Amino acid sequence: MSVLERILNGAPGRFTVVALAALLLVGAVLVNAFAPFVWVGIYTYFCVTLMLVLGLELFMGNSGILNWTYIGFVGIGAYSASILSTDPSLKHMGVPNMYPALVNLHLPVVPALLVGALVAAAVAAVIAWPLMRLSDAVGVITLFATLIVIHVLMTQWDNVTNGPRTFFGVQQFTTIWIATGAAILTLVGTHLFRESSLGLRLRASRDDRFAASAMGVSVVRVRYLTFILSSFVAGLGGGLWAHYITSFSPTSFYVGELFVLLTMLVVGGAGSISGAATGAIIITVLREGLRQVESYLNNSGVISFEVYGLTEVVMAMLLIAMLIWRPTGIVGGSEWRLPLRRKQAAAAPSPEPPAEPVLETEAAEEAK
Amino acid sequence: MESQRKETSVLEVRGLSKSFAGLKAVDDVSFSLRTGDILGLIGPNGSGKTTLINVVTGLLPATSGTVLVDGREATGKPAHRVARMGIARTFQTIRLFKDLTVAENVEVAAVSLGLPRRKAANAARGLIAEMGLDAWAERLAGEIPFGHQRKLEIARALAMEPKFLLLDEPAAGLNEEESDLLLDLLHGVRRQKPVGVLIVDHDMRLMMNLCDRLQVLDYGKTIAYGTPDEVRRNPEVVTAYLGSSA
Repeated sequence: MSVLERILNGAPGRFTVVALAALLLVGAVLVNAFAPFVWVGIYTYFCVTLMLVLGLELFMGNSGILNWTYIGFVGIGAYSASILSTDPSLKHMGVPNMYPALVNLHLPVVPALLVGALVAAAVAAVIAWPLMRLSDAVGVITLFATLIVIHVLMTQWDNVTNGPRTFFGVQQFTTIWIATGAAILTLVGTHLFRESSLGLRLRASRDDRFAASAMGVSVVRVRYLTFILSSFVAGLGGGLWAHYITSFSPTSFYVGELFVLLTMLVVGGAGSISGAATGAIIITVLREGLRQVESYLNNSGVISFEVYGLTEVVMAMLLIAMLIWRPTGIVGGSEWRLPLRRKQAAAAPSPEPPAEPVLETEAAEEAK
Repeated sequence: MESQRKETSVLEVRGLSKSFAGLKAVDDVSFSLRTGDILGLIGPNGSGKTTLINVVTGLLPATSGTVLVDGREATGKPAHRVARMGIARTFQTIRLFKDLTVAENVEVAAVSLGLPRRKAANAARGLIAEMGLDAWAERLAGEIPFGHQRKLEIARALAMEPKFLLLDEPAAGLNEEESDLLLDLLHGVRRQKPVGVLIVDHDMRLMMNLCDRLQVLDYGKTIAYGTPDEVRRNPEVVTAYLGSSA
């Protein structure tokens, strides 16, 4: 079997991953070569965002549990990596109250990013142990409460985070190439996870956790391990994000930013990698477009008053519309397929009773 | 198959009870099931058959009594541990992983035994072929016809290579023809695999033809036990359950 054939006939989603990775790479090359400088920034930001959405999908899409704490782990990764990578003299200036022990810590950026991700994973390992036992509404509410706790810690622990004030002076390390590379690695990683034994068991528990446990799946354990993995991706993505944006405050890691990621998942479809990627692309384009419209309206004097929050309003309406009319997202639960494969699938016998409508995922339901 | 077990295993249920807020759904029920046996459990609706299966498999905690697999205690263990002790089941209301493919549904059970994904896929392919579901392997489980879903549940349970298979109304919703196919299939399972089957069903034709022994429950209590013929002639059973249809 040739490599191409193996890609085309492999597990569903392998085609998606290869196609998306190629698309990202080509996009990066084109943007870097021809597009205006602003676009390079937007593309870098998009790749980091894509990585974050995929990390969110890793747990949420496969477990069906709406994970509010995800953005908190992005923050933990961002702060940990930035504290480690920033020069002690800069830190002393930027965060006057920082513990001396933390001020003196200094690592090159790459190890700092990895440690940041590990810190996020370690925190996840501690708090998820009790949390993964909870399901349904109870689980979602507890996760939301946990996000609030993480947020309060970030805004109040000014010996570490500079409190609600901006943490600045982080080096700009994340280039378009690093961001693209990270997004591609995450893409491959989330695909391999989905098709792994752990991913399969988690997806089974998403569809029916009682049946899964009757088949020998330890639902708590598969959720727990994946939650840690997802938090690792969050931490790494957070670190990369911080080393792109260079200054940030705790508000970047709260409900508002999580909603952007959630909207991407809901619009694209939380059940698949294709969905996460589609959503990330659409929402990024939409946000940039709306931002342009907003600044045009405000600067040109077409209307007599200033418009703010147009982006948020449109995004919120889009989220609601999707949840009402297409809760499985644009892509739905399955991956993109080649037309050929779709034809093969269609050639299989069709069920006599009309197929039941695809039920919305638990996650989408909870997002309402 | 390479995993033929030489010695027989025993599932022993002793004095099992389950109460819901004072109501005794299962009341001091005992039975023992050996690999190779087919034990049928019958009784009117609400007599505690499904609850009994839920308690034996650990989905519900027992109020009192014990469940032993080859002398090892299964009571009080979480459902996934009981499953790994060799007890597989199907559900009265079909509970498939509906957004997973037919093949993946079977693989989940094989993978949770500890098989790597590739081996699990092979094992699944074999079982799916045995059940005649080949053509549906790549379809989502929620999309296939009802009768096939019932078969898929059995395939999924068998993928765990269980010592004991607990079938909760596998013929419910099947027509006579499908029910005959199920009968053949279960006879086939018994011939090929060293497994003890506990089956709950209202399809008396199926039960009489399939089971070596029948146990009759009423209000959570065992009211009769014996071969199908003995049970059919038992006046208490006739009153409680079989009625005019016997």
